[in-house]
Amino acid sequence: MTPPPTGDPDTATVRLHRALYLEEAITEAAATFAGLASFDVRADGDHYVVDLSAIARDVDGDVVAEFCNFALANTARRRRSGHA
Amino acid sequence: MATTRSQIETLDPATLTLTLSLDVGLYPRDVLYAAAYVFLDRAYVLLDRQESRFIVHLRAKRPLDEPTLQAMAGEFENELLAQALRHQVVDANQRIIEDVVAVAIAGAAGDVEGTGDTGLEGAPLIDPGDPEDGFVADPLGIARPWEPDKQGTE
Repeated sequence: MTPPPTGDPDTATVRLHRALYLEEAITEAAATFAGLASFDVRADGDHYVVDLSAIARDVDGDVVAEFCNFALANTARRRRSGHA
Repeated sequence: MATTRSQIETLDPATLTLTLSLDVGLYPRDVLYAAAYVFLDRAYVLLDRQESRFIVHLRAKRPLDEPTLQAMAGEFENELLAQALRHQVVDANQRIIEDVVAVAIAGAAGDVEGTGDTGLEGAPLIDPGDPEDGFVADPLGIARPWEPDKQGTE
């Protein structure tokens, strides 16, 4: 099971299931958060693995968890509008 | 407890996290998205899948006590049911919804029968030569503010 991101260190790895998240939605979220972290997205088995580095710590909120929320929202929106 | 029922797998008030396990046969993926979307403003949501179950990780954005966290789990399951019903209603009435919208649009364009012929082809929406047409004339004083302090600022 993929644990929810906690976001303490300057780096983090998130695993998003490929059946539930669209790659385009993940990269869109990464672009949104480009000013707050660096992102590397790759496929690995059933998951997309997102490596985050240089995560900004001087912001209010959890960058990693907010990124996951954006990836989910983007996926839901794209699926609803028939992009997938 | 039967393993096909949705249920709380973990709940930890210290980390404000809870995990739900849902049978994929009970809820379509779109229903899961819709329910999760509703919670994005108050929780961090991460979806996963393990074999025949959806795993939903929720972490509250604000401090919550244990009963409130448990209530959040219940609210998520209620939202799943509400979205599932909404999904069914939309599916069942899709054709009716499309027909009603088509008639409404056709009616707004002056074509109540929906034939596509409004008889208004090329006609301007507002006749600039007619002071009664449009919004410039205000014979009843509707556009005047009623607040005394704004009446002189027109």
